Amino acid sequence: MKIREERHNDAAVCFLEGEININNSPELRKAFDELIKRGEKKVLLDFSAVSYIDSSGLATLIEMLQRLKKTGGLLRFSNMDQKIKNIFEITKLNKLFAIFENREAALKDF
Amino acid sequence: MTISEKLPSRIEIIPEFILRVIDKIRPPDLTAEEIFNIKLCLEEALINAMRHGNKLRPEAFVEVNIEATADYLKIQIKDEGKGFDPGNLPDPTKNENLEKPGGRGVFLIKNLMDKVEYFDCGRGIRMVKFFRGKGGKK
Repeated sequence: MKIREERHNDAAVCFLEGEININNSPELRKAFDELIKRGEKKVLLDFSAVSYIDSSGLATLIEMLQRLKKTGGLLRFSNMDQKIKNIFEITKLNKLFAIFENREAALKDF
Repeated sequence: MTISEKLPSRIEIIPEFILRVIDKIRPPDLTAEEIFNIKLCLEEALINAMRHGNKLRPEAFVEVNIEATADYLKIQIKDEGKGFDPGNLPDPTKNENLEKPGGRGVFLIKNLMDKVEYFDCGRGIRMVKFFRGKGGKK
């Protein structure tokens, strides 16, 4: 999995690429650690190049949300493929996370 | 087509094993969503067997038996652990559990496969996916 970061005003936009699975979830957690350490309050994860996610990936995202909430931060997702969106819908995690069709809509919501 | 293998309890070997299985069993008209869901269920079941069943003990193995036809895919996975009661797991979709990071593997399997049963006190799982128009959910 690759993670590329861009800034949009006061928001950190992270473009995730590849699979989020049990073997690389720690890598994602480490990237989140950096964002939290830097004091980021608005974080957008863009899923347009994410091809797969498993339950350990979902767990990592939930931990990220909890940590951001504790610091008064916000987490937004954008551009999810239907297959991945389906996993969020089945698990009802679409009720927990703010998921947007595209980056613009997600950034506007901050 | 059948696959029978005994895997050591090492999580890092799972993605490569799944790639090999998908490559071998893939019927030509399987959709990307079906492949995604099969891959996810196979991974979740293997992780459960290795981590929760075998506790990642290097001497404990996971037996995998797969049967694939044009109509269905049957997967049986068995570990060497103490077993568990799949009927006694909290529902991860309930509001009070939504923010809990874990506990979604078994739930995903139940919802994405067409038939799921546990045997040998929860040490083993059998799951079936029927391909489109062959009695499955889609």
